[in-house]
Amino acid sequence: MFVGISVDTNLDRLDTFVKEKAIPWAQLADGKAFDGPIPKLYRPNGTPTLFVLDRSGKIAAKLGSAEQVEENLRKVLTQP
Amino acid sequence: MVQKLFFASIFVGALLGSGHPAQAQTPPDAAAAAAAVAEIRQTIDAAWKELQAYRTGGGKPATPEHPALKWHATLWTYREQHPGTEAATRATADAIRLLVRGEFWEQAHARTDLVGVDDLSWERLSAALYEEGATRKDFTYTIDKLSKVAAATASPTIKSAVLLDIGRAQRRQGDVAAATKTFEASRAAAPGSASSEEAGGLIYEITHLSVGLPAPTFSARARNGKTVELAALHGRAVVLVFWATT
Repeated sequence: MFVGISVDTNLDRLDTFVKEKAIPWAQLADGKAFDGPIPKLYRPNGTPTLFVLDRSGKIAAKLGSAEQVEENLRKVLTQP
Repeated sequence: MVQKLFFASIFVGALLGSGHPAQAQTPPDAAAAAAAVAEIRQTIDAAWKELQAYRTGGGKPATPEHPALKWHATLWTYREQHPGTEAATRATADAIRLLVRGEFWEQAHARTDLVGVDDLSWERLSAALYEEGATRKDFTYTIDKLSKVAAATASPTIKSAVLLDIGRAQRRQGDVAAATKTFEASRAAAPGSASSEEAGGLIYEITHLSVGLPAPTFSARARNGKTVELAALHGRAVVLVFWATT
């Protein structure tokens, strides 16, 4: 499953965008941009930054674009 | 903030060799220094915009018409005319960084050799040398030069800054153990400085965010009102997407 963590500061705009694009997954956002607690925990190098976590909750990949998400997810999903 | 400005004014005063005791420093000095910094930043911004336009227009690196050459000359002249000021340290670092971006390696090295080990330009210049190594995929010069500065400088903040970039180079080369040690040295060199904080952050990345480690857990309320608790998602593959609408 996907979890969005938005670093937007304008949360109304975020909500509108998510609705317009019909993005189905949950969005976490507190308007504090990179200073929010979750970005501080994961230190993304700008956006987008994606972390792929395996079924045991371990970090399987850190990606700087959405391009390699599919192959990394496939790897994770084929693990026992 | 007020305290910071106060110390900055003492510092700039000392660099200018005004000879006045610290108490005699007046706010106009700090204001003048801040104005000079604002002005040089505008010049620097203009330089980078032109480089961006050149590149977008299909311009190649290391050509005689590359805008880095002219802007570098402008900034270097500023450095020579305003020695020891904060604005000059910015001009110096960006002059060399522009040469690096234009891939004028020899010119960049020649300029770098003119910057003394206690010149505060190193706080920013250090990253330009890292950029050279990353671009060339060869950090030999970067690590060699920065190591010499780290060994010789009397300034804790310069030491912290150059160690930070040596560590980044080592990490990029895949030597995580060496990088961790160097980041620790950077952190210890000047506690509270920007480089020290960044080194601490990079150590955290290595020790908490490397592939194979358990992802840091969190619990937060989503915009749709539901609570997302990461630990409760074990058993499923999860993709955390850090993003922004713009």
